[in-house]
This record gives sequence, structure tokens and C-alpha cells, in this order.
Amino acid sequence: MSKQYKYKQAKITEEFIDVDDEIQNSTQQTGYAWEEEYKRSWDVLQEDEDGSLKRTVENLQHRKRKRLFRDTATIRRGIIRHMFLIIDLSEAMMEKDLRPSRLDLTLLYAEQFILEYFDQNPISQLGIIVTKGGYAEKLSDLTGNPMNNIRALKNKKNTDADGEPSLQNSLEMARSTLIHVPSHGSREILIIMGSLTTCDPGDIYDTIDNLVNENIRVSVVGLAAEVQICKLMCKKTKGTYGVVLNEAHFKDLLFEIIPPPPVSATQNKAELVIMGFPSSVTDASPSLCACHSKPTIGGFICARCHSKICDLPTDCPVCELTLVSSPHLARSYHHLFPINNFVEVPWNNSVSSTHCFSCQIPFPPLLGVRGGAVPIENSGRYKCNKCHQHFCIDCDVFVHEVIHNCPGCLATIH
Amino acid sequence: MHFTIDGLPIYFPYDKIYPEQYSYMADLKKAIDVKGHCLLEMPSGTGKTVSLLSLIIAYQMHYPEKRKLIYCSRTVPEIEKALAELQNLIDYRRSQGVEESFLGIGLTSRKNLCLHPTVSKQKWGKTVDAKCRNLTASWVRDKVNENVELCNFYETLESYDPQELLPDGVYTLEDLRNFGKENSICPYYLARRMIPFADVVIYSYHYLLDPKVAELVSKEMSKDCIVVFDEAHNIDNVCIESLSIDLTKPNLDAGARSIAKLTEKIEEVKAKDSEKLVDEYTKLVEGLKAAREARDEDMFMANPVLPNDLLEEAVPGNIRKAEHFVAFLRRFIEYLKTRMRIQHVVAETPNSFLLHLRELTFIEKKPLRFCSQRLTSLVRTLELTDLDEYYALHKVAAFATLLATYDTGFLLILEPFENETVPNPILHYACLDASVAIRPVFQRFKTVVITSGTLSPLDMYPKMLSFNAAIQESYSMTLTRNCFLPLVITRGSDQVAISSKFEVRNDPAVVRNFGQILVEFSKIVPDGIVAFFPSYLYMESIVAMWNDMGILNEAWKHKLIFVETPDAAETSLALENYRTACDNGRGAILLSVARGKVSEGIDFDHNYGRAVIMFGVPYQYTENRILKARLEFLRENYRIRENDFLTFDAMRHAAQCVGRVLRGKTDYGLMIFADKRFGRGDKRNKLPRWINQYITDTATNLSTDMALVIAKKFLRSMAQPFDDQMGVSLWTVEDIDSKQRGSSHLSGVGFGGRIIQG
Repeated sequence: MSKQYKYKQAKITEEFIDVDDEIQNSTQQTGYAWEEEYKRSWDVLQEDEDGSLKRTVENLQHRKRKRLFRDTATIRRGIIRHMFLIIDLSEAMMEKDLRPSRLDLTLLYAEQFILEYFDQNPISQLGIIVTKGGYAEKLSDLTGNPMNNIRALKNKKNTDADGEPSLQNSLEMARSTLIHVPSHGSREILIIMGSLTTCDPGDIYDTIDNLVNENIRVSVVGLAAEVQICKLMCKKTKGTYGVVLNEAHFKDLLFEIIPPPPVSATQNKAELVIMGFPSSVTDASPSLCACHSKPTIGGFICARCHSKICDLPTDCPVCELTLVSSPHLARSYHHLFPINNFVEVPWNNSVSSTHCFSCQIPFPPLLGVRGGAVPIENSGRYKCNKCHQHFCIDCDVFVHEVIHNCPGCLATIH
Repeated sequence: MHFTIDGLPIYFPYDKIYPEQYSYMADLKKAIDVKGHCLLEMPSGTGKTVSLLSLIIAYQMHYPEKRKLIYCSRTVPEIEKALAELQNLIDYRRSQGVEESFLGIGLTSRKNLCLHPTVSKQKWGKTVDAKCRNLTASWVRDKVNENVELCNFYETLESYDPQELLPDGVYTLEDLRNFGKENSICPYYLARRMIPFADVVIYSYHYLLDPKVAELVSKEMSKDCIVVFDEAHNIDNVCIESLSIDLTKPNLDAGARSIAKLTEKIEEVKAKDSEKLVDEYTKLVEGLKAAREARDEDMFMANPVLPNDLLEEAVPGNIRKAEHFVAFLRRFIEYLKTRMRIQHVVAETPNSFLLHLRELTFIEKKPLRFCSQRLTSLVRTLELTDLDEYYALHKVAAFATLLATYDTGFLLILEPFENETVPNPILHYACLDASVAIRPVFQRFKTVVITSGTLSPLDMYPKMLSFNAAIQESYSMTLTRNCFLPLVITRGSDQVAISSKFEVRNDPAVVRNFGQILVEFSKIVPDGIVAFFPSYLYMESIVAMWNDMGILNEAWKHKLIFVETPDAAETSLALENYRTACDNGRGAILLSVARGKVSEGIDFDHNYGRAVIMFGVPYQYTENRILKARLEFLRENYRIRENDFLTFDAMRHAAQCVGRVLRGKTDYGLMIFADKRFGRGDKRNKLPRWINQYITDTATNLSTDMALVIAKKFLRSMAQPFDDQMGVSLWTVEDIDSKQRGSSHLSGVGFGGRIIQG
């Protein structure tokens, strides 16, 4: 019984936007109640002068919106990405300060991250390296198939925690693969680091210098506290470094890596990439696929060598051509032309609208202005500067996070 | 930025100013205006030095008196830092179009400044001094045609007119050396000659407090100088040390050997040219009249070793002749040797010692007093070289002089055994009264500023040093985020109270809980942790116990462990490796001692110190006889109770230790006080205000596990990016303006900026 209850509570505290709930359900495990931290959840709630909690709630919503603000200028971004996800599997990951435990949460989020990563960057690749006991181990090589990665993570054998991590070993391992990546793709490393120490065989500064020379961007998400070497490494390689405050913040930090990074000036030259757009087939009788050698009915036919493969996007196992479908490309495209941030509408301009343009839920009416004082809090309306339509906060978030198109602008095109 | 305080235009070399810097300057100005002493406590890392310099320089330049600034700091690196800050300030003033002539110099020992190719290679300061004297003493230089070796750098210096030696500007020690190299001038003597012409002089405490050195360097300072003692939380100890002398058996033996050498030399000189000795004799008969006249004209600062009445008399007859004097010294040393044969501890006042001395050897008090003077004179007459060989004899002579000069505030303690077992007799001549050495400074100079990051409780210092402070103030630290977190851990996770109290300090439960704190914090704190113990002895025993309990192995998994030892070279090696481990992500723990070198002079900024753990209250070893005598003296003469002083002393060292972690407002760190006794209000009240204001009630009585949870949260929040100190903890010119306008009708309301509690 207690398990179920815990799960519910954990879920309430998180501020998910679009999470695949099923994945979340699958690996919930909680520790004993007495192993948990003191959680002063009541401190978050503060009454205003009238004894109402309204403002606190609104503030929470604001915070949700805050992280949406992005640079909306159209800049060149590397939408073909090659990333290694390095997961720390040291003893420090057994800590239970993030629930259910650092390790379980990391694996859970890593899965979500991988799915979201391929969802947003369909023509990119990702590999996983784990580090424990002073060495690094490659769980999966660079691949365009999310399921390969997730399968590797699901294997319990691969994810026991033990000993100390080795930053240098894992970086070197990632580097040895990433240097062979063609120059049109970005090279990135993302480290999820629970430990505050690292066990290195040599001078890590040499490794960092090599990473800088080879244009490999290293980002780190720390689970405990700020470690100088990580901070320095991220700064030098132009990556980002964040330390999680709580479970939700962990996810935020992780998902900040998902939009493709801007292309650095040094690799900023135009280049053509050969890609194949395979056609989808459904055979009457099963035939063997080239990727798993299993009889399948449906599949895709490579545009160059006509071998059959199961999933897109991928590299053709026979002729190594990059295979994508056009919706994949289109989906990556929105990173290049992000839609503008919506702006808050102050109360005095808010009278023009009564309902959210997209979901049709009524806006809150103007309250408490009888004395002439305009309330400080916002009107709950957010405006697109192109089509001048008003949206509610949830639609604002949804438009920017998920559909990447403004309903107002699309409606006025005709 | 440029602003005014009460009509005094101030140039401040940064665009922004911290509110506490502003109030510090305002208070400092008040003190200088009324020509009074002041005592100012301001947290480390908030730009104390630059505020001090910019105000005083502004004052100097604005008023016609041009009061000279004497800035005393503790260590050579600190002197360098202050000089660099001064240089920066003067450059800024120039860039703002202020036309002024200004000379600022620093002075340090010959060892740091010497350019002579062979002399500068010497390792010991004393040998450098002696070798330098061999090349530059007047009698050596007189023999220039006899083909003796001289120092070229010094010779060129002699040929210049001191007025025109050094162009205007600020010279750091490195600049001085370079200037010396270019013009082949001795930088040490250059600096010394320039002191009378400089507007700002920066040097170490000893040049002002140690009577032997002050006599040479600082006696010509004019009365209206502004004297600043920076990092002055230990000033009472410096005063005491400068007037205390320890004599050992080897000292006495070396002294006896020197006497034998002196006798030979005298015979030699007598045979060759007895004129010289006769000359000296007549000079001594005439007495020290000249010196007295000089002092009457108020040219020299009073020297505590050479009190006024001494100057009025001539050197007594029985030591005027060289042979007599040497025989006199020999007798004195023999007497000391016999005293040292005693097998039990003796503590007696100088008076009783002198009485006994007279009974046995018929040595009177008066000639003893002149020992030091007479020896110097003899050395000059005999034209002795290699003075370092006579070091022990000088020490004995200084001992004799001090012994016969003071009777109150001093004590003689003879300890025949080291650690109660090893026979190694030491005769301590202990100064118990810190005010003796500093009294001439307070008497001579109108404004003496004593400042440091940790001076609390403020009223202790005026009592101990017996002076009246016109202004005494402690400033808080305005922060936009609480960048340090003091935690008081009073019990372990198993609720056993922890303490370094003598009765329980070796209790396995306490030791284990201390170890637990170390291990647990090594898990959650990134990079560097510095742990302080009350003493080497305790550290050794506790580390040995930790080793047996397997605690060290546990901590080893997370961080490397380094240990401070009394040996300076070993410690600096440990420190270097500690820093490397902090830099490359391995993480490290430095185990050190609260009164050691690490706790005083070394900064653990940023990743070099994310947490300081203070294991136990760093009380002094109370069984120490000198300390006991000092406590008694303080109680009888200054009405400071033993306990008050001990706690004060322990807490100022604790504050020093934990203060190491925070060296600026962008830095952050944990301060962990692990002892039950820190939980008590009377202890905490003695911490500086800027630390105290951030100790919340919830953080005063924590168990290890509770502290861990708070610390984790703190470290996470500190790792978040932050900016924007504007308006709250950083002021622009406009903020100052609005502040000044505001205070004109709100005068009397204290301020320290707004403090945001997170």
C-alpha cells in the first residue's frame, strides 16, 4: 500500500509537461520512509495578505513558463548530432537523496531523454558509456535507433553501481569514437555525474585540451554539488554545467540538452550530406530484414542497395547510407526556425479577449480593481506577437514544447 | 568611481563598492579626523585593504599635512598584495587626471631583496644579514684601498644623493628588485633610505614592534603618521614574542665560545692599535648624551629596550673597559649555566632572579642593563665580521638588558625537561604584558588603526594593549545570496555529545563520531575540505585511532588525505598536492592544526576549500606555565578572567580557521563547528559579527545527519548560476549619493546594507 501512496506523492511534486507516463510507471521503487529527507513542502506555500494561496500557485506556474524562454533567433544549428551519454555508476549513485534513488531516477530519466532526443533529433545518433570501479564501459555504440540504447540500459547486469567513476577514462573512450564522426555532425558528450570524485589514470587536463581541439562539447549534469573540474571542462568545451536541486530540476537540466546546439564558427562551412529516403513496403509474405535477419512483413527498402530494414532513421547496414524519412527531417527543422516566445499581457490590455484562442477555456476575469489599483500579478494571457492571439499558460507551454507551431499563425495563413 | 565622504574627495579604483566598504571608510575618516586610534573588524574578502588605502591616500593628498601612512602587515605575500593594491589605486588616480607626487615603497628583509650574487644565495635570513654586513659595514668600506671585497650595489647607492634616488611611483618588492638590478643599486638599503621620503611605507609588524629592529628602521617616523596594523588579530602575541627570549644550553655554550673569541680579538687589537679601545672608552665616559638630546627634540620614537632613564647615565665604570666587559659577560653566562643544572621547574620574578644573581656573582642590575648597548659598541670597535657567529652572545646580552630593565609584566621560567622527561633545560624570559611593546607606538602616533577579519570581541583588544579606541566597529557582510553556511554539530548521528574536552577527547565514541563527520562530509562536499584540530598532539592521537577504526580507509574512497606537520617544507609539499587533487577532481582533505601555519596565512578559496571542519574548540594547552603566568597577570592587572581570555583566544582562532574558506563574495563554503561547546551562546557571541549573523537558531544544535541534509541542500543551491549583486551588495555612485542624501536626515541610524535572508 505504501508503495502506491509514495508514487502518487512523488508524481505530484514533479512538474511534467509531456511525459510518457507508462515508462514512468514501470520502474518506480521507493526506499523506506525513514530514509527520506525532511521535506518541508509547507514552506513552498505562502499565504498573501488576504490569506489566499492564489499567488503561490501562479508563481509556480510562472516558474514553469520561465524555462521556456529560449533564444528565438534563427541561427545555424547542428541538427545531425552525435552524442555519447556517460552515466556514472559509482557508489555515490546509490544515495537516496533523489527518489527513489539517484541511480533509478537517472536510468528512468535517461530512457526518457533518449526517446525525447530521438524524437526531436531524428537524424542524430547516440551511444551510452557507463563508468564505475575506475574504468569505463561502452554499453552501446553510436546508433540512430533509440531502442538499442534503451535495451542496453534495461539490462540490469549493465547497471550495478560500484566503486568510483573515472572521468578521464570515459571521456577518452567517447573521444576515440567521436573523432571519426564526419565533420557535418556535432560531437557531444553528456555526463550524468553523481560522484564528487574521479579516479583517473593520467592528467585530465590533457584530455580536456584534446576535447577542445576536436570540437567536442561536454555538458555535465551533477547530482550532488559543483565540482571544479566539471565546471572548468564545460566552460572550456562550451558545454553547459548544472547541478540538480530536486527531481524535477534534474529533468529540466537533462532536457535542456535536447534542442540542438548552435554550430561553432570553426566548423561553420556548408557541406552536402548524402541521405536516402527509403520507401515503405508491406510484403504479402515475410522476408528477412537486413538489420536483425528476422522475417518481417513490413519495412523500408534502402534507396541505394534495396535491402530491407525495420526502422527509420538508421544507417543502412549494407551500404551505410543514412536513411531518413521526410517527416523526420521536417521535425528537426523547427529547431532552426523556432517560434517566437509569447509575451505576457498586462491587465489593462487584456479586455479584448475572454477565451484562450486554442483551447477555448475562459480567462480569469479582472478582479479587485475597484479601487483603481491594477493587480500586480499577470492576467494569465500570453500573446503571440505575429498573430496577436491570446493563449493561456498551458497552451503556451504546449505550443513551444510539443507542436512547435503557433495555432494562431497557422489559422491566419489562409 | 569618484565620490566624497564629508567633503573629502575619494577615488576608488573599482566601478562598484560594497556597502560595508563605504561605512568602513566613513568610520576610518572619523578616526583620522579626531586623531584617535581605532579598531575595525571587517570580513575577509570584502576589500579591506583597498578601502583603507583609498581613504588614507585621499586624506593625504587632500590635506596639506600629508600625514604619512605606515602600513604593517604580517607576511611577505600580504605585503606584496597590499603594494599591488596601492599601485592599482595610484594608477587609477593618475588615469582620473589627479596630478600629484607620490612615493610608496615596501620593505622586507635583506634575504628577500638582496641582489648580491653570492650573498643572495644564502638560505638563512641571519646569514644573509651577516654576510651583507661584512661587505657594507663602515669599517670595511674604510679599508677600500686595502683590497677588501665590497658590495657593488651598495657602493653605487652611496654615490647617489638620497633625495634623488627613486623617482615617484609605487614600488612593489619585485619592482624594487628590478629597479635595483637596472641601476645596480642595493634595493634593501634603497628602501631603507627612502622611508623618510615616502608617503606610504608598507612593511612587517616587526619593523615597528620589535625594539631591536624598530631602533634601526622606524625611529625617524614623524608623530602624525597614520599607523595601520592589518590582519592584527594576533597582535598581542606578536608584541609578547618581540619582548620574550628563550635561552637554551646550546645558546649559552655558543655564547661562551664567542666570548673566548672576543678575548682573543681584544688582545690582538690591543697589540696592534690600542688607540681604538681608548677611544671607545672615552666615548662611553661621555655617555649617551647625544642620544638623549635627540630624544628630547622628539626625533626618535621611544625604544622600550632603552628606556629614558638609561640615556641619562653613562655606561657604568665596571664594563667600560673591553676586557672588563668580556669578563663580566663570562661571569654572567657561567651563572646562567649553573642555574640550568637545576632539576625542577622554577618560576621567579626578574627581581628575585637579580637578587640571587647579586648574591652569588656580585653582578649589579645597572651594568646588566647596558649589556646590549655595550656589546654593540664593542663589536663596532673591534670591527668584527661574520656577526651570525655572535648571535647567541647577542641573545644573552639582550636577555640581560631586558631582565634588568623591566620588573613588572615579566616572568622567568626555567624548565629543565622537555615533555617532562627529556632533559633539555630552557630558560624562558616571558613577557606577559602585550602592552609593553606596543606602548611606544600608541604614545608616539596619533592614529593607530587595528584591523582584521576577526577581532571579536572588540573590547578585549583595548584592554590587553591598554589604549583607548576612538572608534571600534564590526561590520557585517551584505550578501545577495548566503554564500557561507555555519553549522554547529553538537552530537553524532547516535546522539552522543561530541567535544574535544580533555576528559572525553579520547573516548572511542567521540572519536568515532568525529570520524563519521569527516567521512560523511567527504561524501557530499566537492573538491577540498580543510579540517582543523586544536593541537598536533590531539591530531596525531585521533588520526591514529581513526586508522585503527578503519575510518581513514573509508574517507580515502572519496578524497585523498593530507596532513600538516610542524615541518614547513613537508607542509608546503602537502599543500601543493592538496591543491592538485582539488583541481583535477579527485578531491582532498587537509588535516591541519588551529594554530599552525595553514590556519594563519593560507587561503582556501573556491574549490580549494568548500568546507572547513573545526574539530573541537581550539583552546590553548592550559598546563603551559607561560600561559598560566600570563592568565594570572591578565587577571590581576587588566581584570580579564582566565576563562574569558581562554575562550576569546580559542574563538578567535576558530574564526580564523573557518574564515579561510571564504575569500570573496563569489566564493562559497561550509563552516562546520563540531563540538558541543560551540552550541553555547557565550562561545558563539565571541565569533565575529559577520559569521554570527548567519548562524540561525536551527543550525546551533545539530546532529551529524541533520547537518548533512542541510549541507547538501546548501551545496546544491550554491551550484546554481547567479549574478546580480547590484544595489544590494554592490553600490554604484548613484547608490552612494542616495545613501548620503538619505543619511543627512537620518543621521545616527546605523546601516550595513540590506541583508537578504534566503
